[in-house]
Amino acid sequence: MLWIKNGIVVDPKNKINAEKMDIFVKNGKIVAESDVKKEDCKIIDASGKLVVAGGVDMHAHIAGSKINTGRTMRPEEMRVVRNIAGKFRATLGRVLLTAPAIGYEYAKMGYTTSFEAAQPPIGALHTHEELDSIPMIDKGALPVFGNWHLVFKCIEEKNLEKLKALVAWAIERTKGFGVKVVNPGGVEAWMYGGNVKSLDDQVPGFNVTPREIITWLIRANEELGLPHSVHLHCNNLGVPGNYQTTIESIKLANGFRNPKRQVLHVTHVQFNAYAGSSWRDAASGAAEIAKVVNSMDNVTIDMGAAIFGHATAMTGDAPFQFSLHKLIGARWSNKDTEVETGAGIVPIGYLPSNPVHSLQWAIGLELGLLVDSNKVVLTTDYPNGGPFTEYPYVMAMLMSKKMREGELKKVHQYVQKTTTLPSIDTEKTLYEVIHMTRSLPAKVLGLENKGHLGVGADADIAIYNLNPLETDFSNEFEKVYKSFKTAEYTIKGGEIITKNGELVKEVFGKTFWVDARKKVDLEVIMPDIKEYFNYYSVQLGNYGVEERWLKNPSRLEVV
Amino acid sequence: MLIIKPKKEFEVCIEAELTPELAMKSVEEVRKFKVYYGNRVVELGELFEVVKEGEDKKLVLDGDFGRVKWIGTRMVDGEIVVKGNVGANCGAFMRGGRIVVEGNADDWLGIEMAGGEIIVKGNARNLVGCAYYGNAVGMTGGKIVIEGNAGNYIGEKMNGGEIVIKGNAGDFVGTEMRAGVIEIHGSCGFVGGDMRGGEIRIKGNFDLLPTFRKTEKGWVGDVNVKGEGVIKTF
Repeated sequence: MLWIKNGIVVDPKNKINAEKMDIFVKNGKIVAESDVKKEDCKIIDASGKLVVAGGVDMHAHIAGSKINTGRTMRPEEMRVVRNIAGKFRATLGRVLLTAPAIGYEYAKMGYTTSFEAAQPPIGALHTHEELDSIPMIDKGALPVFGNWHLVFKCIEEKNLEKLKALVAWAIERTKGFGVKVVNPGGVEAWMYGGNVKSLDDQVPGFNVTPREIITWLIRANEELGLPHSVHLHCNNLGVPGNYQTTIESIKLANGFRNPKRQVLHVTHVQFNAYAGSSWRDAASGAAEIAKVVNSMDNVTIDMGAAIFGHATAMTGDAPFQFSLHKLIGARWSNKDTEVETGAGIVPIGYLPSNPVHSLQWAIGLELGLLVDSNKVVLTTDYPNGGPFTEYPYVMAMLMSKKMREGELKKVHQYVQKTTTLPSIDTEKTLYEVIHMTRSLPAKVLGLENKGHLGVGADADIAIYNLNPLETDFSNEFEKVYKSFKTAEYTIKGGEIITKNGELVKEVFGKTFWVDARKKVDLEVIMPDIKEYFNYYSVQLGNYGVEERWLKNPSRLEVV
Repeated sequence: MLIIKPKKEFEVCIEAELTPELAMKSVEEVRKFKVYYGNRVVELGELFEVVKEGEDKKLVLDGDFGRVKWIGTRMVDGEIVVKGNVGANCGAFMRGGRIVVEGNADDWLGIEMAGGEIIVKGNARNLVGCAYYGNAVGMTGGKIVIEGNAGNYIGEKMNGGEIVIKGNAGDFVGTEMRAGVIEIHGSCGFVGGDMRGGEIRIKGNFDLLPTFRKTEKGWVGDVNVKGEGVIKTF
């Protein structure tokens, strides 16, 4: 039992804005004062300190074949030693971290939940083996659907029952959490060396278009009533002029409605918010996208902010990765995942002296500032835009115009004409930023017990050495950055796991997965699945992950 | 001058960043210098005899140092003379001074070196003057002379400096090279793949990739990467 005393609590889900109050923890949950015996409680004195829920990262590439290939092809990333083996495991990594390092670094920063954003269905076992090697945090994985031959077949036949059955079957088999769509149709076209350029291009070999893939998957997702909505990585990522495709894709959510949450989450929008016709005249399309997102109440986005320094581009968007490799001349690895999807990996570094990189940096921040705080989640699309350990930098930047002015002087002045960042006066409040990093991502994912400190929530708590009542967030940005970088205490499931950036205890979090099999009749899709397994390299019986193989599974049943 | 002699034949490799700076220290301090013997940290004095003669900045490694890695790492001046063989990573990241190896050198000789001189009287193995795995740039300055033969991947990602091999070399000489000179007095295998600049001079036979075009200067390429490197005989 824990008694966090006199902390200054910010809990946007429960509308608590910087109020001095006590938090009580029992059996890994937050409970009411009357439920604990105060004399048995371990007391944490949080007077004058900020108490918030543990951070939730809803989009990061933390496990699976992509990040592992990235580690293999980037030995230079593995020369930073973060922890020497002892009570805790040895960890390495500059931006691309080893599996235990991911858990430790999240925990030190006060984050307690992170979702792997693209899991190739056939690679599910690998993804889960790696997730099970990440200590400290709660996890989940989103299997990818947007280029799967079976999905195309269901959509070609216009058979919603089949598609729903396939989604439910695949999510159960992969122990996944939701429906991820990566460059719908484009990765299939890449199998023939091409890509799709617009929402109405036909996918080679199939009578479907990206528009149909997205709408049909939203329809299936909503009828199944999964906790998370469709999680879309738009077409034309990384291509100047792509903001129009992004806006068109966002508008596909029109006509769908879910009282609990959004019906479409568009991810790492920074990479999809470029205006212009080539990299020579590229500009920001963030303002237009923000206008559209703000006008709709069933769409959310995440930033995908770019941070200066090292990064590694890794997405399921294989054709984009090839064009990136051609553009910057860096190493490239391609992955072809049978009939399901593909992926690519390219090392990259963001330099302030480079006009394009500065533009990307500015667009990420523009999105964070211009979109309603209730619709934009803070991410860097780790490791595509940069390390998640720099989230505090983005948080501080959103809260301080003065800090942005200082940083704008250091970057290429190309951003002055091509983005609206220099003219944005908005300063997000702490309340909004805590919402963007805690309660909003939890709501977007449909995790009811995460991202807040109400009674019944999981006791994932971060305490920062920052008094919100006495801090001038506009001017004291350095202090804000430093405070958020290292939590004074990180509490996971009621146990103190880090203290002042030092690891205290290693815990293993849950792996969430969704079971929607009760909502469908699996028999409608089984004949098709059996037929398709003639083309797989594995037998149907060997496909997928059994629940008992996972270290700490947590099933969310959809009924 | 400091003379260091192995006390025994080593069972496992030693990692010892021995530089001429040690010659400026007292013998007691040198004996306490920490080195890795396998996975154990031990004092230099446990494994080697140390004798000091005079004050010049010079190390004489007397004996077989074929299992001692990282000799001369990051050295900036002074001299190291190895009377026998030397282990891997000799002269890595070196910026100045001189290393003379009277025996053979192992892999990774002079990786990413920026200045100074390395002379090997015997043979060298693979990856001479190249970039450490994953790094973008190999040797950027200085000179490596190998009197015998060398292995594969000589001067990979090299961006300056000079490598001279008096004997033969293996395959993949000057891969991804950007600047600098490689001179081979004997023969070698494939040369200059993805080369962007610099010059490779070869006296004997060599295998040329089809991506080089013949000009007055010699073979220019690699066309694959729009390179302007030159391969010629002399």
